[in-house]
Amino acid sequence: MDQAVEYGQKLGAREVAAAVTREKRKMLKFANDSVTIVQSWDQTVPTVYMLSERKRAGAHVENPSMDALKEVMKTLKAAMDITKPGEVESTLPKGPFKYEPVPHIFDARIPKMTDELVDLAEEAMKAARAEGARRSSGVLVTSEWERHVRTSAGAEGEDKGTDINLSIRAFVDDDSSGQGNSCATRLEDFNPKLAGAEAGKIANQARNPVFGDEGKYRVLFGPSIMAEFFDRIADFATAYSVDLGLSFFAEKIGQKVASEKLTLVDDRRMPGGINSCSFDEEGYPTQRTTIIDRGTLKTYLHSSYSVAKYGGALTGSAFYVGGTWCIAPVALNIVVEPGEYGEEKLFEQVGDGLYLTNNWYTRFQNYQTGDFSSICRDGAFEIENGKIARSVKGLRISDNMPRIMQSISALSKERKWVKWWEVPVPVYLPHMIVENVGITRATK
Amino acid sequence: MEDLVQHAIEAASAKGVQYAEARLHTDSGSGVTLTNGKPEPVQLAKAKGIAVRVLVDGALGFASTNDLSKESLDETVNIAYRTAKASKRLVTKPIRLSKEKAEHANWETKARKPLLDVTIEEKLAVLEEIEKNLSPSVVKVDLPSRTLVLIDDITDRYFADTEGSKIHGVASRIGLLFVFTASEPGKGIIQRIGQKGETGGWERLEAWDLPKCVPEEARILGKILREAKQAPRGELDLVLGSEVTGIACHESCGHPQEADRILGREAAQAGESYLKPDMIGHRIGTEAVTVVDDPTVPNSYGFYEYDEEGVRAGRRTLIKNGVIAGFLQNRETAAELGVSSNGAARAVSYDREPIIRMANTFMLPGEYNDDELVEDLSKGVFIKTFMEWNIDDRRYNQRYVGLEAYLIENGQITNAVRNPILEITTPGFYGSVDAVGKKVEYEAATCGKGEPEQAAPVWHGGPPIRLRKVRLGG
Repeated sequence: MDQAVEYGQKLGAREVAAAVTREKRKMLKFANDSVTIVQSWDQTVPTVYMLSERKRAGAHVENPSMDALKEVMKTLKAAMDITKPGEVESTLPKGPFKYEPVPHIFDARIPKMTDELVDLAEEAMKAARAEGARRSSGVLVTSEWERHVRTSAGAEGEDKGTDINLSIRAFVDDDSSGQGNSCATRLEDFNPKLAGAEAGKIANQARNPVFGDEGKYRVLFGPSIMAEFFDRIADFATAYSVDLGLSFFAEKIGQKVASEKLTLVDDRRMPGGINSCSFDEEGYPTQRTTIIDRGTLKTYLHSSYSVAKYGGALTGSAFYVGGTWCIAPVALNIVVEPGEYGEEKLFEQVGDGLYLTNNWYTRFQNYQTGDFSSICRDGAFEIENGKIARSVKGLRISDNMPRIMQSISALSKERKWVKWWEVPVPVYLPHMIVENVGITRATK
Repeated sequence: MEDLVQHAIEAASAKGVQYAEARLHTDSGSGVTLTNGKPEPVQLAKAKGIAVRVLVDGALGFASTNDLSKESLDETVNIAYRTAKASKRLVTKPIRLSKEKAEHANWETKARKPLLDVTIEEKLAVLEEIEKNLSPSVVKVDLPSRTLVLIDDITDRYFADTEGSKIHGVASRIGLLFVFTASEPGKGIIQRIGQKGETGGWERLEAWDLPKCVPEEARILGKILREAKQAPRGELDLVLGSEVTGIACHESCGHPQEADRILGREAAQAGESYLKPDMIGHRIGTEAVTVVDDPTVPNSYGFYEYDEEGVRAGRRTLIKNGVIAGFLQNRETAAELGVSSNGAARAVSYDREPIIRMANTFMLPGEYNDDELVEDLSKGVFIKTFMEWNIDDRRYNQRYVGLEAYLIENGQITNAVRNPILEITTPGFYGSVDAVGKKVEYEAATCGKGEPEQAAPVWHGGPPIRLRKVRLGG
């Protein structure tokens, strides 16, 4: 990384941030109770970010050779030379910084596992079957990562972590399914049996569904479905989304954007947090950032560029964003503060309504107004007098995301981590009740 | 580089695998962006790496690395072999691959002006030219947020397997993404996210006439804001533009006819299908409906000549005259279903396994002129383009929310209407089509599937179509 920073400066860049991440991953996929493939990766990925007078450029180089990186940097600098200056001048965070390691984010046993992955997947499948599932599909992933960062502004650090994540979907029949999830940074916090049992139990409860009705409902949302929503909500809270005009949080700092029951945090310092880490890719120390405090929007997630543009303070959120190949603020470890209700009490609070456990395919009509729809997936239930009355299918949530946030009326005490295919950024959150949720369905 | 691939194949063979393949990718891409007229950071991406997939006693192992030393390659092969072997205990249904012809081929997308010869300056100049035409005085609407992104990539792939295939392919792709927010005092805001994309050289982009066609998209947003009235609800007739026909063909025909979904392999991620393996011959739509997927459409965004299992690509018919005609197959599903692969295995990069994907999915044209599609309708709605859409994970219950849409009254297209919502089942959709237009148009898109996620370039399209007696909600 030293070489990359020096080379960037030699090329004439005013500032340079260089990072390299090595990640080793294994992924066991299974379907219909049979392993379909085991995949393994060993990748070293340097990234570089260069700044000159109101000009920026970045690259993501999946090639660990210094020659390849130098070639890319040369092209980047040439591109900076011919582009017009951007809107604002930004500078990298001034180091050096002292990075406090986050506790409990590395477990040396996880990267060594190969045969054990089969045992863990089998344990989850057996637990699903014990709850009544007839078949299960899913994925078990282990990851070990090391990241080094070095900037011309004096930041320099090394960090490492591990995680293990199981997502299992159990079926009783084609229309009756449930999902369970367990993710952790240490083996002692990982529970495939519980995830399998959860999937099997929901699938079993979801047997013999009938088509649900359109209307407005008081809905008890399970953690998986709200995790998918909060992945998006936290993304809307990045200055990057605001900048692109793809956020309903634009010009809302200091305003009430949600129910007072909602406090939303991006906590990169959480001990044992799935994506917890010590510094971002501009070398700035990570922190616990309260995005929404009891309903009020406190800050966007920032990089040095967005702070220069919008004001506010750095949040240690600058990372390379997939698809943009350049540093931008992102949410990494999303946490929703708990409420006061036990699970049974939450059902009582609903009285008559719906209990929705999972969803997929959320799409927005308009990112600034937040009008959207999303399809219910896996167990969905009508609740009558605080108890599950019947399994329903064919439902779509058709509503407005800011309205959903304003209408959260109760949260559970218990929380869990959710991370799966539709929830790439992990979320630690409770069950929650939302009032007057719009539900539609196809009728022909 | 061919030596590295051959080395991997030989190393895998020496371990006694049933089958092995290796792919070496060298990919490069760039992105230039203007947001509200200001340049965003120029972005470059480079990737070079190798993937090895082995079949060991009915178990599949895959490993990839971007460390291309011989030692690393040996370890990569070793990991693929070792993990496959370890998983065998829990492979209750041993995996087989269909028998296919070994191919030797060299293919490349044609480019009159290669993308490598185009400077960043030229790319930015294109965006600035579009930007000039986005001023309120030109498009007659205020665009408080506008982003233009020009992306290009070149992917060079060499594939070989233990059955003797050796295939070298190079594809260059160019694309434009635009995101507009239009605002009109007292009328609210609307957004349009649009994409263009083709394979080939810079000449493909020049043919799009971007300084004219992209601002036209913005002008329409202003028209919608100023003129559109509430869309009617209830049962009526509908005409869908090519863009809406295309997304429906992709979502509710292409996806459910991916054989890996039908067999449950993607159940925990992208989901399964309402179709079963024995439903070839099942009627799903009217005689008017024929849908195909074809990777060989020249210059298409989803173009390829050979798939990532070395199988030659060709057109596959998914629905023929309303009847399920075939599924998208790779070698694994083909073996299980007792057919041949139709070359649908794609991997977007060196670190992804090949899985079944669409390429270019579209409805074939019928015999109706645009006027003829509306002239018989006393009351209906024409939905030309869409914004929000989604479909359940069995591909049965879908929704499209119209963006540019008009009322049809007494055989004439009249005033604009806002946010018509079609929520309909798959047989409800294809079973309501009674007329199909003559002119096929395509849209570029990026389709997501697989774990890890693979975002594949595709086209979807078709002609305008007419649906009778469907319910508009919202």
